[in-house]
Amino acid sequence: MDEIRIGVFVCHCGTNIAGFVDVASIEEYVKTLPHVVFTQRNLYTCSETGLLAIKNGIKENNLNRVIVAACTPRTHEPLFRGICSEMGLNPYFFEFVNIREQCSWVHQKEKEKATSKARDLVRMGVARAALLEPLEKFQIDVEPSTLIIGGGISGMSAASVLANQGFHVIIVEKDTELGGQLRNLHRLYPGDMDSQKMLSIREEILKNPKIEVHISSKIKNIDGYIGNFDITVLKGEKEIKFGVGTIIVATGTDVLKPKGLYNYDGKKVITQKELELLFKENQFNSKNIVMIQCVGSRNEERPYCSSICCMTAMKNARVIKEKNPDAEVFILNRDIYTSGTYQEEFYREARKMGVIFTRYNESKLPQVTEDSVIYYNESLKEDVEIKYDLVVLSTPLVTYHEESKKLSKMLKVPLDEFGFFLEAHVKLRPVDFSNDGIFVCGTCKWPANVPESISQGYAAASRVTRIISKDTFTVEGATAWIDQEKCIACEICLKKCPYKAITRDEEDRVIVRTVLCKCCGVCSTTCPEHAIDIRHYKDNQVESQITALLEEGEWIE
Amino acid sequence: MNENTKNVMIIGGGIAGIQSSLDLGDMGYHVDLIEQEPCIGGRMAQLDKTLPTNDCSICILAPKLSDCFRHPNVKIHSLTQVQEISKNGRGFKVKLLKKARFVNEDSCINCGLCVEKCPMKVLDIFDMKMRKRKAIYIYYLQGVPAVMAIEKEKCLYLKNKNKEKKVCGFCSDVCEHDAIDFSQTDTNYTLESDAIIMASGSNQYDPTPLYTYGYKKFKNVITGLEYERMISASGPTEGHITRLSDNTHPKNIAFVQCVGSRDVNTNSYCSSICCTYSTKHAILSREHDEEMQSTIFYIDLRAGGKGFQKYIKRAKDEYGVKYVRGKIAEITIDENANPILHYEDLDTYEVKTKKVGFVILACAMIPTRNSGKLAKVLGVELDEFNFVKSSIDSPVNTNIPGIFACGSCLGPMDIPHSVINASGAAAKVSEYIRVQKGGNHG
Amino acid sequence: MTESKSESEKEFEPKILGFLCNWCSYAGADLAGVSRNQYPPNVRVIRLMCSGRVDPNFVIDALIKGADGILILGCHLGDCHYGEGNYEAQANYKMVDKLLKFVKLDNRVTLDWVSAAEGTYFAKIVTDFTNKIRSLGPSPLSKKSNPSIEIQLKMKAVKQVVYNPRIRKLVGRERNITLNENVYEEIIDKDEFDLLLNETLEAEYVRNQIYFHLEESPKSVKEISNKMGIDKKIIFEQLLVLRQRSLIDLSEIKGYSPVYKVKK
Repeated sequence: MDEIRIGVFVCHCGTNIAGFVDVASIEEYVKTLPHVVFTQRNLYTCSETGLLAIKNGIKENNLNRVIVAACTPRTHEPLFRGICSEMGLNPYFFEFVNIREQCSWVHQKEKEKATSKARDLVRMGVARAALLEPLEKFQIDVEPSTLIIGGGISGMSAASVLANQGFHVIIVEKDTELGGQLRNLHRLYPGDMDSQKMLSIREEILKNPKIEVHISSKIKNIDGYIGNFDITVLKGEKEIKFGVGTIIVATGTDVLKPKGLYNYDGKKVITQKELELLFKENQFNSKNIVMIQCVGSRNEERPYCSSICCMTAMKNARVIKEKNPDAEVFILNRDIYTSGTYQEEFYREARKMGVIFTRYNESKLPQVTEDSVIYYNESLKEDVEIKYDLVVLSTPLVTYHEESKKLSKMLKVPLDEFGFFLEAHVKLRPVDFSNDGIFVCGTCKWPANVPESISQGYAAASRVTRIISKDTFTVEGATAWIDQEKCIACEICLKKCPYKAITRDEEDRVIVRTVLCKCCGVCSTTCPEHAIDIRHYKDNQVESQITALLEEGEWIE
Repeated sequence: MNENTKNVMIIGGGIAGIQSSLDLGDMGYHVDLIEQEPCIGGRMAQLDKTLPTNDCSICILAPKLSDCFRHPNVKIHSLTQVQEISKNGRGFKVKLLKKARFVNEDSCINCGLCVEKCPMKVLDIFDMKMRKRKAIYIYYLQGVPAVMAIEKEKCLYLKNKNKEKKVCGFCSDVCEHDAIDFSQTDTNYTLESDAIIMASGSNQYDPTPLYTYGYKKFKNVITGLEYERMISASGPTEGHITRLSDNTHPKNIAFVQCVGSRDVNTNSYCSSICCTYSTKHAILSREHDEEMQSTIFYIDLRAGGKGFQKYIKRAKDEYGVKYVRGKIAEITIDENANPILHYEDLDTYEVKTKKVGFVILACAMIPTRNSGKLAKVLGVELDEFNFVKSSIDSPVNTNIPGIFACGSCLGPMDIPHSVINASGAAAKVSEYIRVQKGGNHG
Repeated sequence: MTESKSESEKEFEPKILGFLCNWCSYAGADLAGVSRNQYPPNVRVIRLMCSGRVDPNFVIDALIKGADGILILGCHLGDCHYGEGNYEAQANYKMVDKLLKFVKLDNRVTLDWVSAAEGTYFAKIVTDFTNKIRSLGPSPLSKKSNPSIEIQLKMKAVKQVVYNPRIRKLVGRERNITLNENVYEEIIDKDEFDLLLNETLEAEYVRNQIYFHLEESPKSVKEISNKMGIDKKIIFEQLLVLRQRSLIDLSEIKGYSPVYKVKK
């Protein structure tokens, strides 16, 4: 074997690390560790300057292991691995030591101890680096197709963009027709567009030869992995099986039915959704209308703001005022949510039209009686009574909790506490899941209005196109591995593997299907014969860290 | 480059432009990313933290910057602006102007020796003019491309170029890589592209005309973006919250909402991000100083995004942030330069006052002047607020087929919305180009 | 903060090793960092993909090498990125915990759950655990304590048990046989399983101790019984098992009592 030549780059991260850890002493210490032939400190190792320094370091010192002691591997590891690859070094020869999140940021008042801890962490990293092994990423074939679960406006937007590019799209819709919540809407804001007009996208979808639509269908099972998902759909009694390369989750949301709230009865006290139905069927003829905002939201049970209800209330108030300028419309609210350009204008116009906005306090909720709404007016410091012939409750979008749960289990993707799907990163990966090849858009992720749902549909389509416009996808090289000499084929691992990645091969040996393996390591710890090791997290690599920590170097005294 | 490769031009290298570039680059398109500043990164690079997770903004942005820089399909054109555009079939011919950097991008290693030697101090625009940098500078520390630039108007050598005797030029003398090139000139060149994405971003409203707030008149009244730089560890005060009047640390801060927004005399629209970014500022202020008292004056508390209500609850419960529904009539100061807010309590309609140590104005997001110019050049229609006009059923299309838009040039929006738009625009570009090609794929 | 303590007053600073899963608890630790939640600097973390990857060997190994405490953190039950890896971690932990009770080290190893959103909770766990270990004092295996031969031998036995394929098989199958039916269509009760596991572990532990005592020098039943403080009858039973497995042999007969030795 070649001589091990480790290079260690210690990051200041501006003052983020250097302000609380004595980085100069770390560098001096690292120099004394075995196999370390090069060390350097960088102001920001992740900056182009820092990356260039790594490249030069590798080139000039013939490094075959690179360690960066900086921040968390959860965000920056791919970047540094990429740099190693660029320099012809196997990316798995890179080792990350976290001395920021795990050290400088959490021991800000104990510089000496933080520095000592950083020394230990780096020593552990060096020990591990010496034992790292090169791994190859591999390519898997990708089927140029997408399954879209949910045929609402978001899913249909994604479908149309993908199909127009020539990709095969399959939409699975649980309802008897496409359209989702859009079907229940009367008008859309701004511009008062008729929702029927936007629904015409359905005809395009149904006509498009690249799009296959299954209505009244449910997902029964999902197997496989990015590029090669195996889907089983239950259409009535019939099972349909097919394969796709990627999946978009666009299952949408329901509108909360406010059972038991404000004497909701569906007749004199109704929801905004029911009001729009009255409009659509030309059944509306009330004159004194009181709308109440935040019904069932921004409370203990559902602390979130559904963000579309204020605009919905205003939109419908305007419709009423247009029909009958003499009608009285009150909107009882806590905060009016009209963020953005045209939304605020919409609010202003509604007020001009005579819609009355008045505030109620969350600690004193309005009371709905037989014929009036009583609320506490903060500025008058007294209860005020409004007579009504119709009360309209603005209720939030809520998730199809049970169904989402089932789907999240099948897809192995997370849900948040309210049952909304949880994306990979709220800021920078808003329509991705952390699992490869699965994406999310529309209200099943968080309440959104129509244009937002469309944008999200497009965004998901973009993320899908990145993958299916290529023939192959590259998979991580860190996987489980079975030593056939030791394996006694007891099959405990076979049952344990959450990805069904362990099977029998033609020769009846127990093997790992590496494309499926996600490197969790459960098979290894439960293997009675110690026949399974986890590449990149091998027993000896972990043990080297333990030894380096406890048997070498100093520890804070 | 493959003959069949299609080209996309993305104008604006903020987070939206970066996301579009990466998506389209990954799809196999060649991307020309046009950025007028010396480095890409845009507004997000100026931010200290992002909400509601409070993760460090530059930390999550930096990997994207590098991805862009290293992407084989993405070419960054820094210090570049669009001059002219003409139709070219279904695509476009775009005339660009690249300003002279006076530093060779390929040889500069950003070692900083030149900066040490440069004698000229210049107000740093990236740091909201709260500190000085040199005439030769890197736009910001983590900037990409990570190379220096010389500000022509401030450089001693360039200003005295025509004099007989050489003036200054220390940077060139000290540079070990011969990267300084005073002979560079602005250059015009033309690129062809099959589609364009406008991602020219937004600006912060300058509250000076709203004299009642006392911005510029009182040193302890600053804007949100200025505060953002102030609390950033790499900012002008290295993350210390410091009153500009006397360099002391305030214990009491007021955040004023709707400055230059929801106001028919300035901008009638809601800037949509301020309630939550002020909440972030208040939380971070308490993290900087355990005794900090923050009060947010607002009209309506607008927090509809994912996790935003929880964020506000956390601010109230764990960080002691007070929210007051109140409209500021005027800000005055006492003899110690402490700002006094005179406001109407919107719950009780009483007029009250509050004295604090520091005031942060949550100023509106407004369209940039350059966006307006760019829209004119491209023929793109703007809405009544001078943002790019989009419609409800085509949220990332403009009136010109083949030109799309994303990010805050479409209107005030936060980072996730910008990123969603950006990916969305990338999808629409790909659709536009592939339909044009005849569609069929695979 | 400027207060400085004299050498003698200086508190004992425990060495704690943490095994964190990548997806939840490591992310939670990151969040603690981002949120600047301060906690004692005594924990050194090894990041693994899943708490289910924490092999009992790692834990015992670290204790033998002198760790004062070990913290294993995973996703909350039901939240595991891999589905049920943390349940495996729980099963493994239970076994380790039972074993460590024999050597009174069980309170030095803890398993807990931290989500990616629980930065503050992570800081609390670390703080509490550090304080607990600090109050326990140095581990009897730490270099500070000059570990006795007895405890070293006992830990050697523990290590053997953890390594033993039969034990691993039993633990590996636990969730299967207590949740699903076995081949005879019986579901084994959880308590019943616990009892079985306990017995098996104890027997294996005793056998291994006997083995290591014999490895030191050949001994009679009585001598072993005296050394280990265990009833002669139990020793005799286990000696038989060891002989069946051909791990030991008769060395000689001293007087009336047979003396045993390990098989080379």
